[in-house]
Order: sequence, then C-alpha cells, then structure tokens
Amino acid sequence: MRKAVSVRSKLTAFLITLFLVLLALAVILPLLLPFMFVFKTRLEYNYHPWSWPTEIRWTNFIEAWRAIQIGQGLLNTIFVCLGAIVCTVPAAAMAGYIFARYRSKVTEVIFYFILAGYFVPVQMVLIPLYQLCGLLNITDTLPGLFLPMTAFGIPFWTIIYRSFFMRLPNELAEAARIDGAGHTNIFLRIMLPLAKPATVLATLLVFMGAWSDYLLSLIMINSAQNYTMQLRIAQFMNQYGVDHMPRYAAATIIAAAPTVILYIIGHRWIIQSTLAGALKG
Amino acid sequence: MPENAKAYSIIPGRSKKKKPLDWNVLIFKIVLLAPAVLFLVVFMYYPIEETFRLSMTRSTGLGPAVFIGLQNYIRLFQNEEFLMGLKNVLQWAFWSVVIQIPLAFFIAFSLSIFKNKITKPLRVIYYLANVLPSAITAMLGRFVFAPRHGVIPSLANKFNWQWLARIDFLGNPNLAFWSIFAIATWAYCGFYIIYLMANIEQIPQDIRESAELDGATPWQYAWYIVIPMTSYALRIVSILCIVGSMKLFDLPWLMTTGGPGYATSTLGIVLYKNGFVNWQYGRAAAIGVIIFLLSLFFTILQFSLQRKDRDVL
Repeated sequence: MRKAVSVRSKLTAFLITLFLVLLALAVILPLLLPFMFVFKTRLEYNYHPWSWPTEIRWTNFIEAWRAIQIGQGLLNTIFVCLGAIVCTVPAAAMAGYIFARYRSKVTEVIFYFILAGYFVPVQMVLIPLYQLCGLLNITDTLPGLFLPMTAFGIPFWTIIYRSFFMRLPNELAEAARIDGAGHTNIFLRIMLPLAKPATVLATLLVFMGAWSDYLLSLIMINSAQNYTMQLRIAQFMNQYGVDHMPRYAAATIIAAAPTVILYIIGHRWIIQSTLAGALKG
Repeated sequence: MPENAKAYSIIPGRSKKKKPLDWNVLIFKIVLLAPAVLFLVVFMYYPIEETFRLSMTRSTGLGPAVFIGLQNYIRLFQNEEFLMGLKNVLQWAFWSVVIQIPLAFFIAFSLSIFKNKITKPLRVIYYLANVLPSAITAMLGRFVFAPRHGVIPSLANKFNWQWLARIDFLGNPNLAFWSIFAIATWAYCGFYIIYLMANIEQIPQDIRESAELDGATPWQYAWYIVIPMTSYALRIVSILCIVGSMKLFDLPWLMTTGGPGYATSTLGIVLYKNGFVNWQYGRAAAIGVIIFLLSLFFTILQFSLQRKDRDVL
C-alpha cells in the first residue's frame, strides 16, 4: 500500500518536472527560433523554413544592424540609464534618511507628499509633461527623458531607503555624534555606507527600468539621433516588418542580445533585488 | 515594528524640541529633502495639476485653451473608440487575474514542492521573459504571429494544416486581443512566479512535514494550507495585475497599434492617439484623469485589504 503511494507520487513528481521543463522550453523558444531562420536567404526561407541552415551567412545580421543602427541607440540608452541613476538614487537616499532619522510633523507631511507620488501612473501626465519639457527647452533631448523618469522613480526608492535607514541601529550614529561628527559626516561616512544593499538594489532596478522604457521615449524623443534602443527596435518593426523573415530574425537577435546578456550575467542580482523591492514595497 | 519606530523617534525628535531651533539641523534637512521634493513638484505635481486643468478645456497646444467644463468627459463616454478601450482594459484585467495568476501559482507551487536538480534553475528561465523590454517582447510576438511568414503559419504550412496557416492572428479582430494576451502571459508570468514562490517558501518547513505525516497529497497541501497562507500575496499580485492592465500601452501599440479597428485599443492607446496624433490635448488629459481614477480605485482596494490582513496577523 505504502509502496504504491510512493510510486504514484514519484510518477507525479516526474510528470510535474516534465511539465515544468516543457514550459521553460516554451519560454525560451521564441528566443531560440530566430537562429533557425537567420542564416538563410529570403528564397531559402520561403522554400525550406524549417530545414537546418546549410551555410552560415552573416548578410542578414549586417543588413539588420544597418537598419536598426542599434549602436547609437545603445549609447543613448546607456546615457539615459546613467542619468536616471545619478538623479534618482542620491535624491531618494537623502530624503529617505531624513524621513527615517529626523522625524517631525513637518517631515511626516512631506513624506506623505512623496509617498502619494508612488500611485501616480505616468500615463496620466503625458500631455503636461510634454508641454513642460517644451517650456524647459528639453524636448527631444535625453535629459528630457530621464528627468521625468527620475520623478516617477523617487517615491518608491524613498520608501525603500526610509525603511532601510529605520532598521539600522542607532548606536553607531550616537557614538559618532559624541566624538563630534556633524550631521553631514554621520550621513555620508556612517549611514550611507551601511545602506549599501539598498543602493545596489536601487541602482540595478533604476537601470533596468530606464533600459526598458518605451512610452516616455516615444513621447519625448523625436529626432533619430536621440533615439534610444527601444525606439530603434520599434522603428525597425514598423518600417521593415516581417516580410523578410531572416532579416527580421537577425534584428530580433540583435535587439534581444544586450538584455539577455545582462540577464545571464546578473540574473541572481536581478531576481533578488526584484523580490526585495516587491516584498518591501 | 511599532516599538522600533518609537525608539528612533525619541532620540533625534524629542531632544530637539526642548532646545531652541537648531539652524544646522534645519539647513541639513532642507538640503537633503530639496532634490526629491523639487523633482516631484516640477515633474509630477505640476503636471498633475495641469492634467486636471487641461481636462476641462478644449486645447490643441496652439492658442489659448477654452474652458468647457466636463464636456470632454461627456464626449468620451459617447465615443466608440474610448468605450472600446475601456472595455478592452477591463476585460484584460479580468482575464489576467483569472488566467495568469492561477497559472503562475501552479508553477510557483510546483517549483517549490518538487525541488530537484532539474527544476531548480528553471525559475531563472521563467523570469527571463519578464526582463525583456516591451519593444522586444512585441517584436517576438510579431515573429510568432505574423501572417504567412510568422512561426505559427510557417509551421502550419510544414504540416500542411491549411486552416491554421490561413489564420491571421493579429489582423482578425476576435483573435488579436488573445494573441497579445498570450504574449503578455508569456512575458508577465515570470514576475508573479518568483513573487509567489518567495512567499510560498516562507511557509515554515514543519507545517509541510506535518501535512505530509497526516497523509496530505501535494494538491491537498496546496489547497488547504498554501493558498490560505499566501492569500495576501495572491491578492497583492492580483491588484498589481489589475492596475497594470489599466495602464496597458506598449504591447498592443507595438503589435497592432490598437487595431484592427479598435479591437485591441486600450486607454493608453486612446490617450496617445488623441494627444499626440490628433493634438486634442484636453480630451487626452481627460483620459489621463480616468486612468488615474481607475488606478486609484484599485490601489485603495489594495490598502483596505492590507489593513484587514494586518488585523488577522
């Protein structure tokens, strides 16, 4: 009797494992399939789409690379990511520190003012943001993209930093104060280094957010020289379409490669920080 | 948590009140708060105020805006495109909660209970699709569903399934929504899986062991213990899912631009078209306000659920 149960449960375990593996394959299949098509000419693809490539041809890659011009887009994207990090992380760390360690009625009010921003969807303010960037003369520039991004990132990271600083022990700061360290020194020399995990988390996720943004870029950026990677990819899709499938496949590989490589290198960090962010928030 | 908060507030907060105003501290506070406050005032609160103001005007961006009260809102609710967008977004939210979350829960539960060498690294693979930017997700979506040349039609041709090869997934009004939904499920489930998994793994090991001793099958264990114990996480994920649906833009815009007709239009797409294609600023701002109110409604729902949960714990 007992044996029968264990055999049955082993079978379930096997079936479930099999199912999970198949699902995982389904997840990566769309990223692997382009490699079936990418080395073929258009004619070859039309007649034998599913045969193994007979010959490794790089022409499709070259054509797709020229069409997307991802190089410039990559530079712009990295600039936007850096801009967003440089603006978001220090501002959030500083504000979070005050809200955690210098609490008063006034700071509580300001905290709720910032907290409320967490619930504002960026879709709501697209039109005025666009007009505002016109007023500030930053339409169609990269700062015009990462400054609004920063404003929409600050609330969340302020909350994270605040809860992080609140959990740090007070003794260190007290000891430093007795030794005569000023407020600025305590913050910069003692508290900020202790908050390094929060800083790593914020840097990584702000980077990922700026890296993937599409909607804000679509609205703020008009001229091709300022296009981010995502805009280049969208432009390629609309101009060239799927008719020349091998070239489309090449473009897909080129477009996905940076993100996939980033993910392969840093997946442990990325998953951990997403979870930490989600569980705390 | 409350004890800690009290302990911290005593030391810097109260001791200061007895002393006369300390200018150093005040300046320090102002300097540290200034960047965050400035960013929010300029790039968020000012635009919010402008959104409300614009939503009550007829404005094209050129010339003065004319105040027309609630006209924009009234017009929107008579506008077919807007109503389709609203309907699609609500439908999207409903099906996301009904399909994506149970699926994600099933995968998360299986992953955490049937742990072995094969299943352990799978979590990393499942999350990969979530990391891809939406432009790339949309690109892959077209790669799979495109008529004639896409993966599905060309596979169907190989097996000579003409009926399948002839289907135009993104061009058929009935299928376009579901094609995009399938891609979204593919892309978004990863996050729900790792989030639910993290919550399932927080359940103490001895609870599972005692359930096993009592002869509970994995499915009974899932139904009677795991689901009740992760109900909070499940609700959070559902709310995230719903609020996300209200803001849906990237995938349908990139895959079908809301078409064919208005079949895959969303509130975000209607807003974008009104604002940046037709230059109807007032009407677009009104849609922004509606997106905000819908998100706010569901967020408040989240908070009221959260409070109930805290009482229980």
